[in-house]
Amino acid sequence: MARITAGVATSHVPAIGAAMDLGKTQEEYWKPVFKGYEWTRNWILEPENRPDVVILVFNDHATAFDMNLIPTFAIGCADEFKPADEGWGPRKVPIVKNDADFAWHIAQSCILDEFDMTIVNKMDVDHGLTVPLSLMFNQPQAWPCKVIPLAVNVVTYPPPTGNRCYNLGKAIRRAVESYPEDLNVQVWGTGGMSHQLQGPRAGLINAEWDQRFLDDLSADAERLKNIPHIEYLRETGSEGIEMVMWLVMRGALGDNAAELHRHYHVPASNSAVGHIVLKCNS
Amino acid sequence: MTTNIQAYLLELEDIPGTRVYTTKRARAGYWLNQFAMSLMKEENRKRWLADEKTYLEDWPMTDAQKQALLARDYNRLLDLGGNIYYLAKVFSTDGLSFLQAVSTMTGMSVEDYQNMMIAGGRSPDGVRSKKEGN
Repeated sequence: MARITAGVATSHVPAIGAAMDLGKTQEEYWKPVFKGYEWTRNWILEPENRPDVVILVFNDHATAFDMNLIPTFAIGCADEFKPADEGWGPRKVPIVKNDADFAWHIAQSCILDEFDMTIVNKMDVDHGLTVPLSLMFNQPQAWPCKVIPLAVNVVTYPPPTGNRCYNLGKAIRRAVESYPEDLNVQVWGTGGMSHQLQGPRAGLINAEWDQRFLDDLSADAERLKNIPHIEYLRETGSEGIEMVMWLVMRGALGDNAAELHRHYHVPASNSAVGHIVLKCNS
Repeated sequence: MTTNIQAYLLELEDIPGTRVYTTKRARAGYWLNQFAMSLMKEENRKRWLADEKTYLEDWPMTDAQKQALLARDYNRLLDLGGNIYYLAKVFSTDGLSFLQAVSTMTGMSVEDYQNMMIAGGRSPDGVRSKKEGN
């Protein structure tokens, strides 16, 4: 049977992708950002850790979806997804290959479990999805695993609640455990941590709040799932709301999770960079 | 769990220096944001840069939205229903990074804003709530 073995979360700041693509990772500004991913880059390629499939929870930033169509939860079910042209031409990173049979299985299972997923086939994927892959796998010719994209609306209000995201994670776990193939599956949550990209309050960072969030991913997930939107907005900036996507990952790990690795750095561009690796403890 | 939607929406307006992208703003900014999406195509970027006013004639926006676009007044564009991820297509076409464009909304120079970020960013103290003043 397929099984979820670990969860990974990371910021997906577009400038991080640009720094890698333009060969700037050794510059003083960027060095400490990338340093914190070295542990994970080694860990993830160990045979017992290496995922066959990553369910990658991200948000589209007005790329594949515009104001015409705003799905709250959308799961990519096509065989592959191309890196999007976000205004500077597409990133020169590998095409994302899906395990489409498994993706369709998860879509069906979640819908029957009362999570009304939108199924997407044609979807170019933006920095929200490709930057986390670059951070974990560096710059390979092809991504070393299959990727199921799961897009969450965190742009147009209201986004789903943290509790809803957490429970979607649980539904994803049930879906994975009912799939007969022997697969090592990881769930990744991306976005965050504190940042605000708009208005006179732009540049807001709340390291103390972010660190408590990282603590409680293993210590007290029940607290995290009940954080209301207004708290993310007030405490972590208008774009800090992306952290609800980390709760899909956390929900998918089951009741108990143990922290294996953590990284936190300010800044990358306008954002606090947060990264954590969690192992299922059940 | 049920949420009192009026109270929810009121709270979203209580944050200093922040325009949360609510359905009301999304509706007012529909064409503004769809115009911005058109700049994801190279041919449209070229046409826009060559003659911005003529390009805008094809889009049923308000005059205020068009003026704010021509002036690259991003705070005003947020007020008129623009969303930052859509407006990013406009400033990217201008060759600006997120950091450069975002700094224009803060009243700080790019350099001062960048230095603030390197020093740890803007503290939430004092800018959590208009009502509470904290």
